[in-house]
Order: sequence, then C-alpha cells, then structure tokens
Amino acid sequence: MTRAPLSRSFLAFATLAVLVFSAASSAQTLHLPPHEKIVLKNGLTVLLLEKHGVPLVNISAIVKAGATADPAGQEGLATVTAGLLRKGAKNRTAQQFSADLDYIGGTFEAEASPDFTAINAEFMTKDLARGLDLFSDALLRPTFPQDEADKFLAQSLDGVKAAKDDPRSVMLPYFSGYLYGMHPYGHPSGGDEVSLKQIQRDAIAKFYEGNYAPGNTIIAAAGDFNAAEMKAKCEEVFGAWPVRAVKSVVIPAAPSAKGKRLLLVDKPDASQTYFAIGNTGVAVNDPDRVAIYVVNTIFGGRFTSELNEALRVESGYTYGVRSFFDQRKAPGPFVIFSFTKNETTTPAIDLALQVLTKLHKDGVTPEQLKSAKSYIKGQFPPNIETSRQLARTIVVHEFYGLGDDEVNQLEARVDAVTPEIARQVIQKHFPAENLVFVLIGKAAAIGPAVQKYAPNQDARLLSDPGFWPAPAAGKK
Amino acid sequence: MKTIRLGGIAVAILCAILFAATDVRPQQEYPVTARTLKNGMKVLVQTDRSIPNVALYIFYRIGSRNERPGTTGLSHFFEHMMFNGAKKYGPGDLDKVMEANGGANNAYTTRDVTVYQDWFPRSALPLIYDIESDRIRDLSFDPEKVKSEREVVASERRLSVDNENGGVLDEQLWATSYIAHPYQWPVVGWMSDIEHWTMEDLKHHFEMGYSPNNATMVVVGDVSAEEIFKLCETYIEPIPTHPLPPPVTTVEPPQAGERRLIVHKPAELPLLMLGYHVPQTNSPDFYALNILRTILFQGESSRMYQRLVDKDQIALDVSSAIEPAFDPTMVEVVAQPKQGVDPQVCEKAIYEELERAASTLISDTELEKAKNIRLVEFYRQMRTINGRANTIGTYEVFFGDYNKLFEAAKNYSAVTKEDVERVAKTYFGANNRTVATLTPDTTEKAKQ
Repeated sequence: MTRAPLSRSFLAFATLAVLVFSAASSAQTLHLPPHEKIVLKNGLTVLLLEKHGVPLVNISAIVKAGATADPAGQEGLATVTAGLLRKGAKNRTAQQFSADLDYIGGTFEAEASPDFTAINAEFMTKDLARGLDLFSDALLRPTFPQDEADKFLAQSLDGVKAAKDDPRSVMLPYFSGYLYGMHPYGHPSGGDEVSLKQIQRDAIAKFYEGNYAPGNTIIAAAGDFNAAEMKAKCEEVFGAWPVRAVKSVVIPAAPSAKGKRLLLVDKPDASQTYFAIGNTGVAVNDPDRVAIYVVNTIFGGRFTSELNEALRVESGYTYGVRSFFDQRKAPGPFVIFSFTKNETTTPAIDLALQVLTKLHKDGVTPEQLKSAKSYIKGQFPPNIETSRQLARTIVVHEFYGLGDDEVNQLEARVDAVTPEIARQVIQKHFPAENLVFVLIGKAAAIGPAVQKYAPNQDARLLSDPGFWPAPAAGKK
Repeated sequence: MKTIRLGGIAVAILCAILFAATDVRPQQEYPVTARTLKNGMKVLVQTDRSIPNVALYIFYRIGSRNERPGTTGLSHFFEHMMFNGAKKYGPGDLDKVMEANGGANNAYTTRDVTVYQDWFPRSALPLIYDIESDRIRDLSFDPEKVKSEREVVASERRLSVDNENGGVLDEQLWATSYIAHPYQWPVVGWMSDIEHWTMEDLKHHFEMGYSPNNATMVVVGDVSAEEIFKLCETYIEPIPTHPLPPPVTTVEPPQAGERRLIVHKPAELPLLMLGYHVPQTNSPDFYALNILRTILFQGESSRMYQRLVDKDQIALDVSSAIEPAFDPTMVEVVAQPKQGVDPQVCEKAIYEELERAASTLISDTELEKAKNIRLVEFYRQMRTINGRANTIGTYEVFFGDYNKLFEAAKNYSAVTKEDVERVAKTYFGANNRTVATLTPDTTEKAKQ
C-alpha cells in the first residue's frame, strides 16, 4: 500500500484538521506577488496572479456556501454537490471528464468545508484552454445524472465507515458535534450514515441552483500565464454564467461551552486512546489572531512546544501532540489533540491539562516569544512558494475580507507581540476551566478512570451510526 | 511525507518521486553542482532564490534491510535518537536551537535509507552545518532518552500499524511475501524488538551506517554552490570515515505460487492488499512498470478505477504503490471493498484487468496520457525547494546518478506499448502474487 515512510514527527495531523493559516502569515522581505481583481458583468469576482517558473497554472474557486448551508437532516449535501460537479456536465459525461482531465495530467478537486465550497484545478500552461474548458464545464454546467448521484452517495456512505476505521480521521466530526451541538459547526461536513441516506438527486440540484452563482463565487488563477490574456480568457469562459439570485448563508454566533463535559466513543479493540480537549476558539478575522498564532506556536504549534516537550520529549507518552485554532467565519474550535496507549491515558491527559494550567499561570517567557517569532518568520515563506498555494491564499483572503497585509505585514505584526499582549491573549482565548473532552478508545479499559475529568459524561460506540448528537433516524 | 486520505485508505503521495519526469527540457534549466568531499560524502547543490529559504537533505544508505531478527526497527529508532543529543548540542538542544533560529526538521526511514531533512531561512545556514556535523561526528546516547524515545516509537507503531487497518495488512503482506530477504520485517520493527534494543545495538548501528561516505547531502534554495562547499570543508570534511555496512547478500528466491493470508480484526469494512515481486529501482523495467501503473491506477479514467469503482461499483477506491528500493521489491495494490462486497470479488476484477494488460496492447491514447501525467508530476516536484531536494537525492541514491532525473524524459518516451504488455505479463501473474485480506470480526468476543 501506499504508505508514507515512517517520519520522526507528524507535523500536520493532516487528517484531523487544517489550520487556516492564510490568516496569519509572512515577512517584511516577503510580499504576495502583485495580483489584480476584476468583477465581471455577471458579478463573478476574478483574481489573477502571474507566477512564472514551472509551466503550471492553478485555478482556485470558492463558492460562498459550505457545509453550514446543509439543510438539517441532510448533512453532507454541500460535500456531495461538490463531489458531483465532475460527474456529468453539459459537454461531458463523468467518464469523458476524467479521460480529458487525465490526458493532460490535470487535477480537479472539489470539496465543502464548513464555511465554503472550494474547487481547485491544476494543469500545464500549454493546456490552458482545455483546462479552463474542463473547469468551467464542471462549475457552470453540471447535470447531476441520477446514476452518478446514486453511485456517489453509496460511496460516501461507505466512506464514513472506512473513515471510522482510523480514529484520527473522525476525531474532528465527533469533537465538533460534541462542542457545537445543533449549531451548524456541529454537523459533520461529509455527512453521516443516516443523513447521506436522506439526500436525493433533486436536493443536490436544488443546492446547486440555490448557491452556485457568479455573484456568490470567487475565482483565483495563479501561475505561468500572461495576466492580460488570462483576463480575456476568463471573461470569455466565465462571463457566460447567467446571473442568479442566491440567499447568502448566515452563520449564527457560536457559543462557547460552559463547565466540563466528556464524550467517550468506545472502540473496543483499541490499544491506544485518541483524545481531543478544547472549546470554541476565535473567528478568522479576530483582531488578536497574530498574537494567538504566536502564543499557540509556543503552547502546541511546533515540535518544541510546551505540549510536545511534556507529552513526547520528556515522558514518551505519545508520538505527537498538537494544539490549533481552526479559524472560520464564526469562531471555530480550539483543540488539543493527541493519543497514547490505554495504560497512560489519564497520565497523558493530566499532563496536557497541567501544561494548559501552567500557560495561564506563568504565561510565556521573553525567550520563548523570541524563538516563536523567529520560527514563524523562518517557516512562513514555503507557504507561498507555489502558484497552487498563492491561488488558494488570495481566494481565501478575498472570501474572508482579509487583505494582502495578512502576508505583507505579518512580520511586523508578529514582532509587535509583547509578553503582556501574550498574557492578555491567553486569558481571553485559551480555555482554562471550561473544557470539552472527546476520547476515542477502549471504554472497558479507560472508562472508570476518565470520569474524574467532567461531571457530565456521554458515551457511544464508534460503530453507532453518525457522530454526535446521535442522528435522528429517518428524519426528513 | 504527505498523506492524503481517500475513502479511508491512506494513499500516500510518497515516492511518486521516482515516478516523475518526462521532461523534454534540457537539464540546464535545473542545474545541479556536485562535489565529493575528501571523506567520501557527495554533496549536490541547486540554487533557487525565489524564497529566502533552504532545504537540506542528508540521505544515509542504511535502513531496515541492514537489520536482523531481534533488532528490527533499529534504523528507525536510531533516526529518532539522532535528535536526542550529541557533544555540543545536548538532549533537546538541537530542536530548540533550530526552531529559535527559524528552522524546522524531520526525518524518515524506509527499508533502504534513513533521510534527515532541515528547512530553514538562509540566515541559519552556518548553524545548521554546526548542528549536522555535531551529530554525525559525536552522537551521544543518554540512557534516559533511550528509555523515553522507546515509548515514543511504541506509540508511533500503535498509531501507524496496530490501530490502522492498512498498516496491519501492509505489515503482514511483506512478512508473507518475503521469506528470506530482510524486506520481510517492518521498518518500525516488531513490538517485542522495540522493547528490547540495547545500548550496544545502537552504538553498533551508528558505526555501521553513519560514515560520511555512506551519505549524500542535497542542498536546494537561496544558496550558492561555493558557499555550501566552503561550509562543508569546515564542518563536514574533517569527519573521519569508518567501514561501510556489510553488503546485504540475501537474495529473495523466486516465488513459485500464490500466497494468501487473512487478518481477522474488528473493523467497519474489509480491506484487500496484493503484492507482486518486481525488480529494484535501477532496473531497466522501472519506466515501463510506472507507465503500466499509471494506466491501470492513476486518475478516475484509469482502468482499475473505471472497472472497480465506476462500472462494477464493488470498491470505494483502488490504488497502487512502489517504493524506491535497492533490492527487488514489490508493487502493492490496495482496494477498499464496498460494504457487503466480498474482497474476492474485487480480486477477480483486478486479475481480469491485469490479464487484459498482459494479453492486449494498450492504446496510443493511454500511452500518451501516461507520459503526459509523468511530465506534470515532474514539474510538481520541481516547483518547491523541498521537492527538488528530495527528488534529486532520491535519484542520486537509488539510480546512482542524479542525472537520471533529467534523463527520465528520454527513458519514459522510449517505453512502447509492447514494453508495457511485457512487464504486465512478466510480473503480474498469479504465481508471483501475495494476497492479504482483512476480514472484519464483528463478534463481541473478538472485540474484548
């Protein structure tokens, strides 16, 4: 199988969550390359960024409706809609689309996250015309054939089961569900075993009609092209997309959890416990976002973080531990995530809590601040190295109303963080007493010992359908 | 390395590295300057000033194939110990100093090599050389660190093998497919070996594998070759050589019949994994094998996806992989059957497609498509300093010459439809395969 070689540390916990660090990034010496923004007559926003080097072009589109736009009981609808874009369009069947795309060595990926749907494509400069034709066919003219919808839904359903065979990949849906409950951020972006069965082909077409429209979409192109020529091509290809009124998605304010509660998801054969601890974090435009980035780097954002020093380097409890703020339109979760063998479950969690308490009590030292600032500045440039990264960065900034200063002023903003600012940020944004725990592990082995963490305890089996709250079976 | 998830199976972008390049452009576009130091370490440098950063890789030609029963996993454990203290930078210092200066690091171990990676701003250049020379020359083994790192590696094993269905099955597949050659044991090591390595084992491993003439250094980024060679003269060249690891002489005998294994385990879905013996990376069949794999497995227009996922609708996904290897290795095929589908149904469909490839020539369009895909993959690796460092080093180590990276174009273009049919026929027959199946055990007793 396609297994990665064993690495010393896994830096990303890629399957758990993606840190939105478009929101905090770069250096005085570093600037985003110049790019331009145009709005077509149909209301479509187009961003163009020339970057030469390798002969590749990247297209990154955002449709301003993500998993939070799913109707109740049909969780996963935005994800399924995105997945079906390439499975039949006006000018191509699903099979023709794949044949055309693969022939030029191109890629096309579409998926919904909580705030938006992202559609990304890449192809060689010499195939620009064919690539744009493929991209626009899928985005502007999908047909959602019944048989393809049936196939895709069946695959998605099994995909949820397959994901549950690796607890890492389902920790976030459990944690989000348990933290946010009925708030839209609580529902699983990819759907679950119950909700996916409620989705019909017509609901998919309706979701598309109601959300995919030029005025509700941003397209960024970055790479090896001439911007003036690209502009003309975009007008030709995307200008024909008819105007359609859509309702904008409103994400209600996300409350934070009060007190302590714990969900134990039983995986009876587990030899280790996966745990997530946290609460509601901050929004992507939070004025404290850079200071939070700096403090979290020290707390749980790098190899020598306080958490990793304690749980890996000094005690050997785990291969890795990390904390992150998943920043979105409304406050997303703040999570501490790790795993440890059954026998060291409570010592490892105790230690993680001690590190959090210490952060509140002692703050961060000037030396730690200096180190974290160097680390952030030194590690940032490879985040905007490729046209793929640049296209995604500018389109996400545009969606969230953030400017180039997110990158261009990053160094200055990082340098401005003082111990006093760090102290304020810790008090304000890092939870202390109010904590939500989600554990996936062998309940028979760890159940009694973990009761001490919270007066309110909930439990379910990993194999029970859905995540949390338990889906209402058959709900329409 | 990066891992993406597709329907629950880890489909690593791993060693697509070797699977690149149909470049028609001349090498001068990506020039490499090479020098061999007096102590035998080869250094390759490529200048790219598009960002003010540097990627530095050191490839040591030592991996789990150099181990023996009782100390399996030692190379990987040793890799961890390389971060746990030397003479000048004591336990914990390496990471702290590197991060405080804007740098980051990682490392990976395979059956064949152990690779150390540093990513840092240009300003940290002398510091990185100081750190690297310190640990290559004067690594120390703190008993306390050995103890805690042993636990870390055990945790890594529980994460990537014991609690991951793909990990369990992969381990069993290699252990069954190889009966003589050291590729039979897992890189991470058997748990009982992880628990029993001694300090002597570690010291012996260092002496065996970490001589400068057993290593290749690749530096790509905001640097000049001259300044790198100067740093090497100061920091690396004085490090003395010691004997190289003894050659691995065991040759895996040809497999003369199908081998099958079953793993019973609580799981939501079954899993199917096949292994086929193929030659080592520097074999002339490398290119035709990759073209065949592309046509069979890459993209939603591939034959296997079209057959198993799209038409028959019996699998969630199907993929294949091959790792760079010094010795004859395996092409692995993984299929994730849909719920309620017997893995043998997937097996049958895969065999039919393999037989079709072995008995009928592929189309011109398919051949052209595969070559186009290889070309784009090449550029994907060339677009970051990190990708370049890893790719250049991998070609140098596994083909014996980094120039092979730039000749890959020619070598892929030379692949004919007949070559593809021949490799399908030669390597993908029933007698040469090992079949591993994970069968979900759903009884309550099994879960306890």
